[in-house]
Amino acid sequence: MTEDALRAAAFALMQAAGFVLVAPLLRGAIKKMKAALQTRQGPPLFQMYYDLAKLLRKEAVRSEVTSWVYAAGPRVYFATAVAATTLVPVLVATAPLESAGGILGLVGILALGRFALAAAALDTGSPFGGMGASREMTIAALAEPALMLGLFTSALAAGSMNLGAVVRGLLELGVFFHPSDIFALSGLFVVLIAETGRIPIDNPATHLELTMIHEAMVLECAGADLALVEWASAVKELLYVTLLIDLFIPAGIATTVAAGPLLTALSAWGGKVLLFAVAITLVESTNAKLRLFRVPELVAVSLGLGFLALAIRFL
Amino acid sequence: MVPDLLILCGAGMLVTAYLMVGQKSLFMTIRLYGAQSLLLAVVAATMAVAEAHPHLFVMAAMTTVLKGFLIPWFLMRVVDRIGIHREIEPFLNVPASLLVCLGLTVVGYRVSTGFPEGAAGMTHHVIGVGLSTLMIGLFLMVTRKKAITQILALLTVENAVFLVALGITSGMPLVVELGIFFDVILAVLVLGILVRRIVDRFESMDISRLSRLKG
Repeated sequence: MTEDALRAAAFALMQAAGFVLVAPLLRGAIKKMKAALQTRQGPPLFQMYYDLAKLLRKEAVRSEVTSWVYAAGPRVYFATAVAATTLVPVLVATAPLESAGGILGLVGILALGRFALAAAALDTGSPFGGMGASREMTIAALAEPALMLGLFTSALAAGSMNLGAVVRGLLELGVFFHPSDIFALSGLFVVLIAETGRIPIDNPATHLELTMIHEAMVLECAGADLALVEWASAVKELLYVTLLIDLFIPAGIATTVAAGPLLTALSAWGGKVLLFAVAITLVESTNAKLRLFRVPELVAVSLGLGFLALAIRFL
Repeated sequence: MVPDLLILCGAGMLVTAYLMVGQKSLFMTIRLYGAQSLLLAVVAATMAVAEAHPHLFVMAAMTTVLKGFLIPWFLMRVVDRIGIHREIEPFLNVPASLLVCLGLTVVGYRVSTGFPEGAAGMTHHVIGVGLSTLMIGLFLMVTRKKAITQILALLTVENAVFLVALGITSGMPLVVELGIFFDVILAVLVLGILVRRIVDRFESMDISRLSRLKG
């Protein structure tokens, strides 16, 4: 029993570490592809690693009026993002800490991180922090149920709320296609865009005071605090992409722990992540940022698609 | 493989119908209609291969050329010529429309369970998607103000009817389908001219102004 627990812990550590190390690469890849579409050279692929290294060396300047809530915010945000990675199957069709929680656990952990960051933003007392926190929460209040409905649709097909069991169930069902999948996928893709602050919803590249959402919230962060927030956001982005891969194109994932299948699973996973990166790049390059008051409309569409997917699955 | 492709394209058509409800650019709606027709052509071609009905290839080709490219091009030209405001102004706002469409889809799906199993064993989903698209098309027709968006809604309904027909009968006789095609082309041409007449007369495409004609 203890040996099993140790093995699960080691597996969880390895997967989390791998996720944290690879995550900035996805951001770099998306930036590079976006630049290529605009016929620019763009920042190097590893730019985010350099940024993180620079920020981590710097002192975290904090306002005098802040309390421990502010100091805890980025740390809790980072910790929840890393913890969430252990609930998702990546290369093997089991999540490392499967017994610890399923879909609701994952959504709850991510919500905790968001709450911590919003609380930290409010704690600074700066108007931007409060504005960013309120906007982030407005969107999250719609995106979170959409995420849950999308996840439930797959859970219903596989007959389990546990992500590892969901992936195994989907693999067992084979590649049978149900119309609800396309609704759930379109809904969850909008959630992915909303949660990672990509262009139709939010623009990660600017600090324009009237339009920014996520950036307004972390405007006060500096040095190591900022590095943790940025890093956690990158981890979350890769996490959402992996989640979509698990639910809709799980083929190729390893069912046994052996060198051969693991290598196949790694290349398959990498390829699929790249596919999603291309999709995100195309969406970012071909759309203009929505007016803030239009954003809830779009996220409501994804909520509707989630409802529809679930309803069709039942009928 | 065949059922998967059929359902994928059918569901894709329903998604394009939803996108038509969900966004407000006139050109985007026309492009979505083109995409929807191309998906329908894929459905027809898949049926042709699976059921060995060569005449469905003719339908697929005609759908691609006429509904996928020619009609959207014609409608865009009409919009360009009359130089109207390019935003759609629905009677009902977007979130409310989406809620109504959700209800319509559930109804369409529920009704489709009553149909007998037919072609390719996929009837339930294809008919469900088809009926839902049909009702969303009808809904679009009654909630849109501009004459051009009503033409698009009519064409969406026509696509949906075609999809349902494919789902039930795996393709009607060629003569019937050719007749429907000419009807559609004629309808688009006539309505295109009608739109320009309306714009000439009222300097707007807003059909709610037609009620002023009352004596």
